[in-house]
Amino acid sequence: MLARPRLAAAMPARPASGLVAGLSRHPSGRWGLILALTLGAVAVAGPWLAPHPPNIPDYGAALRPPGPGHWLGTDATGRNQLSRLLDGARRSLGGAALVAVAITLIGLVVGTLAALGARWVDAVVMRAVDVVMALPGLILAFAVIGLLGPGYTNLLIALIAADWAYTARIARACAFEAVRSPAAIVARQIGVPEWRVILHHVLPPVFWPLLVLGTLGLGGQIAAISAFSFLGLGVQVPHAEWGAMLADSRHLFTVAPWLLLAPAACILLSVLASNLLGEALRDLATPEGRS
Amino acid sequence: MTGAVSRGRGIIRALVLRLWQAVLAAAGASLLVWLMLPLAPGDPVDMILSARRIEEPTAEQIAALRDRFGLDLPFWQRYLLWLGGVVQGDFGLSWRTGEPVWDGLVRRLPASLQLVGLSFAISVGWSLALALVAARWTGRWPDRVVLAYTRILAATPSFVLALLVLQFAVVGLGLGRVLSGGAGATLVLAAAVLGIDRAAGWTQLLRAGLIEHLARGPADVARARGAGPGRVLTVYALPPALLPWLTALGISLGGLIGGAPVLEAIFTWPGVGQHVLTALSVRDVPVIQAFVLIAVLAYVAASLLVDALALLIDPRLRPEARR
Repeated sequence: MLARPRLAAAMPARPASGLVAGLSRHPSGRWGLILALTLGAVAVAGPWLAPHPPNIPDYGAALRPPGPGHWLGTDATGRNQLSRLLDGARRSLGGAALVAVAITLIGLVVGTLAALGARWVDAVVMRAVDVVMALPGLILAFAVIGLLGPGYTNLLIALIAADWAYTARIARACAFEAVRSPAAIVARQIGVPEWRVILHHVLPPVFWPLLVLGTLGLGGQIAAISAFSFLGLGVQVPHAEWGAMLADSRHLFTVAPWLLLAPAACILLSVLASNLLGEALRDLATPEGRS
Repeated sequence: MTGAVSRGRGIIRALVLRLWQAVLAAAGASLLVWLMLPLAPGDPVDMILSARRIEEPTAEQIAALRDRFGLDLPFWQRYLLWLGGVVQGDFGLSWRTGEPVWDGLVRRLPASLQLVGLSFAISVGWSLALALVAARWTGRWPDRVVLAYTRILAATPSFVLALLVLQFAVVGLGLGRVLSGGAGATLVLAAAVLGIDRAAGWTQLLRAGLIEHLARGPADVARARGAGPGRVLTVYALPPALLPWLTALGISLGGLIGGAPVLEAIFTWPGVGQHVLTALSVRDVPVIQAFVLIAVLAYVAASLLVDALALLIDPRLRPEARR
C-alpha cells in the first residue's frame, strides 16, 4: 500500500529470463526468492510430507510437546501440528496466490478495456473504481463476508472484491500510456492488426507493474486470510489454516506455547518472503533501482 | 492585502472540492452496501429468522417480520427509506436483536475510538522517533537495526503480534491478573500493539523521505554554513518529508480502523468491533451496513482532515499555485 505513488509511472518491459538472475543478485530479492520457493514447495508437497492425517483427533496424544514422533507437538485434540501446518499452507498460501492471480487478471482486463474503449466506457469504469477505492479494503472485505456469510470461498471472494480496484487503476494508467506510445502508433500506421498491437505494445508495459503489485500484495492477502480465519470468518473447522490454528490454541498458550509459535512463525515468514520479493521486483522494474 | 484574501479563497475552494468528493465517496459507499445485498444468498426473512435462531417459524411470524422490516417494498424504496433514516441517525433495527442498530453501536463507539485514537498517537510517535534515528545515522548500525526491525514487524500481522505480546506479558512478565481486570492496562497494551505494528510501514516511508531530503540543496547549504547533523535533519529535512508522509498516514488510517476489531477480539475490549463480529457471524445485515458506512465516514473525515492540514502547510498544493 505504501509503495503506491511510485508504481504509477509506466515501467519498461524486461525479459523473463533475466528475472531470476536479477532477483538472485538483489540483496533482499535473493532471500525472498529462497524463502518463497521453499514455502511454495512445502505447500505443494504438503500431503506427501505430512506424517499424520491432519484432521483426525487422537485424544491419547493430546498436548504433547515437540519431540520424536511429533516434531512440532500436538494440539488439544492430539492432532499432529506439523501435519496441520503443512495442510494449512495450502489454504493460507494457495488462497493468497489465488486471490493475487484473480486480482491481477481482473485488473488487467478492466484496466486495459477502459484504456482501449470509448471515452464513456473509460469514465464509467473509472468512476466505479473510485467508489470502490474510497472504501478501506478491510472494511469492504468485512461487508462482503457479512452479506455472503463466513467461509473460505466467501473469504477469497471478499478479498478479491476488496483489492481489485487499485490494480485496475494502475493497469488503466499504464495501458493508457502504452496505447498512445510512439511504437504503438507507428505499428498501427504500417498496418499491424490491432490485436497484435495490443499483444506486443500494450500488454507488456502493463504486465510488469501488475507483477510487482501482485507480489507486494501477496503478503497482505496471507495476513488477511489468516486474520479472518482467526476470527472464525474464513476457514471453518475441522480444516487447518494458520490463523485458524492460532484461534484454536489461543487459550492454551500458557501450557502449550509451541501451538502459538509455529503457526505465527509460518505467517511471519510467508509475509516476509512476499515483501522481500516485492521490494526486489520493484527495484528491478524501476530504472533508477537497477544500478 | 489582496494576496492574503485570494490565498484564503484558494484554500476554501480546495477544501470545498475535497468536501464534495468526500460526500460523493460516502454516498457511493452507501449505495454499494445496498447494491451488494441481492448478492447475499437466501430470502432476507430467512436470514432474519436464522439470525434469531428461529427454526420453524409460523406464517404469522413471517408476515410480522416482513411488515416490521418493510421487506415487501421494492428494493429502491427500501434504500431511500434507509438513507432517509440514516441522515437522521436512524440505521434501522438489528435483525438479530430487534433493537435499533444505532443504540448498539453508539454504546460501544467510545471504547473503539479510544483504542484507535491512542494507537494512532503511539504509531505516529514511535515511527517518527525510529525514522529520525535511522536517518540521523544512515547506513550505520542504528539504521540497520531499525530497518531489520521494520522488515520483521511489517511481516507480522497485528493479531499475531498481539498473541505473541500476550504470551510474553502473561507467561514472561506474569501480568495475567493486571490484564484480566484493569481496563486501562488492556487499552494501553492493545493500542500499543496495534500502533507499533502499524508504525513499521510508516517508519520505512518517513525514513526514505528524510534521506531523500538530506541529499537535497537546502540541506547541503545548511551544512556548508556550519549547521550540525541534528539541526540539518530536524530543520531542513523533516518538514518537507513530513508532508507526503502525512498524506500516507491518512490513507492507511483505513487499515487501522479495519484492524481494530481483531485486536478488540483478542484483548476482549468492549468496542464496536466485537459487536460487528457477532453481526458478521449471523449475517445481521443492518448492523453490518451501519458499521461499513460509519467506518467509511470516519475514514473519509480523517483523510479530509489530513488534506486540510497539508493545504495549510504547503502553499504549492493550493489551486492558484497549480496554474
